[in-house]
Amino acid sequence: MNKKNYLWRYVFAVVLILAGLILSYLNIRKAFLVFSSLGSWLIYIGFIMLAVITLQLISNKKRLVDERMQFIATKAARITFIGIILFSFIIIILDGIKSINIAYSYFMSYLICGILLLYLISYKILLRFN
Amino acid sequence: MENNIAKLRKKNKITQQKLADKVHVTRQTIISLEFERYNPSLELAYKITKALKKRNIEEVFNLKKINI
Repeated sequence: MNKKNYLWRYVFAVVLILAGLILSYLNIRKAFLVFSSLGSWLIYIGFIMLAVITLQLISNKKRLVDERMQFIATKAARITFIGIILFSFIIIILDGIKSINIAYSYFMSYLICGILLLYLISYKILLRFN
Repeated sequence: MENNIAKLRKKNKITQQKLADKVHVTRQTIISLEFERYNPSLELAYKITKALKKRNIEEVFNLKKINI
């Protein structure tokens, strides 16, 4: 990753922290996920992001990404995409049987974690057998 | 696609890692190529041919069946 990419990621992390501080300062609060408010969640995410970027910058490990890995990544992305469609279909059916009452923030958090997990698992499996 | 990578590599006394470094791929990719689990791009096929000191790509890679 080049320096410009790192800079943009740092800017994004700082923007998250600032947004969190502003929301906390203006006292716009509502219980959000496991945090006391949206502001504290944004600050937490911002600091986590800063730590991750800094660690990546310090380690500066050169990772080789060859064409086979790109090919597998494309296949994993396709599997993930099909997985999202299937999951959405199942959710629609389940909601039709019994209404799903869950906060949107929780639902999206689970969905994003699920997508990342599915992508990672399919990528690792494909990498092993291709 | 069939290939003679393993045979030519051993003939030239090159390790999988050394070949991988020469053509800028991972060792796992060389293993996959040798087991014919993965078909390389034309660019990689040319690089491997050159690394194995061969002039023609057909000396390293060839199609099992050609249906034209």
